Amino acid sequence: MSYRDYVIAAYAVFAIVLAWDFIAPRLDVRRQLRTAKLRAARAAARPDINELRRAPSE
Amino acid sequence: MHPLVRWFHQLGSPPYFDRFAARWAPVAHGLGVLVMAYGLWAALFQVPADYQQGDSFRILYIHVPSAWMSMFVFGLMAFYAAIALIWRIKLCEILAMACAPIGAAFTVITLATGSIWGKPMWGTWWDWDPRLTTELILLFLYFGVIGLYNAIEDRRSAARAAGLLAIVGVALLPVIRYSVVWWNSLHQGQTISLFGKSHMDPSMLPPLFAMIIATKLWFIGSLLMRARADNLRREAGKDWVLRLAGGAPERAR
Repeated sequence: MSYRDYVIAAYAVFAIVLAWDFIAPRLDVRRQLRTAKLRAARAAARPDINELRRAPSE
Repeated sequence: MHPLVRWFHQLGSPPYFDRFAARWAPVAHGLGVLVMAYGLWAALFQVPADYQQGDSFRILYIHVPSAWMSMFVFGLMAFYAAIALIWRIKLCEILAMACAPIGAAFTVITLATGSIWGKPMWGTWWDWDPRLTTELILLFLYFGVIGLYNAIEDRRSAARAAGLLAIVGVALLPVIRYSVVWWNSLHQGQTISLFGKSHMDPSMLPPLFAMIIATKLWFIGSLLMRARADNLRREAGKDWVLRLAGGAPERAR
């Protein structure tokens, strides 16, 4: 008797779980770097409160 | 200072570890895939079918290496957690917590492939057999470690609490290992022994050894990648992370 379907199902589970294990951390790294980039962009757009300047005269 | 000791100290530096992980994770994954490709090809097409179990025995080539990995990774996680608790090494906390999802993935594979193998051989998908039940408890322990680590906001406190659970959970490993000896079990006894005599035809062994090596290499790649992600999360806001992300460091403005 051939158990081909059981073998295919088992190997498919193996492939799917390992594919998730491969992709998930890479997406996480990409997300962390994107978050860092957005944080840097927000910080750059914020006015520097350490710098004191006169208001432009009217 | 000895170069190996210096390298070990350097590895504790978050930016250095990030570069190390980014460089070596793809190498480990690539080697793992190569060895796995040979192992899977030989397991499916080269080795002869078992005279009793027929082709269903081919599930062994993914089930057994995954089962070994599920226990090996838990032991390693507890080892890193112990180092992190004793010497407060941040990198070991990160590595311990990076082990948990990988170990859980291998445990899921073990349980699922065992269940699929069990249906044609035992006539049932599941049985509350000592080996199956203890392996399921191992999966719950992995979920416990992952859940605890994510439930506490402070990363270092979270890693210490989850690490403690990992250390306590190590007591389960010998129970899983000897469950087929201590209790009357539906699960077969030990067939393969790395150092003793294996109850398996020698022609069936090479793909198994290939898969054992392949899963180890795969684990190294995944561990480095997951540790890198956690390292970046913990270091978010530091200049080196901003530079790496392509944003200008705040202090450089």
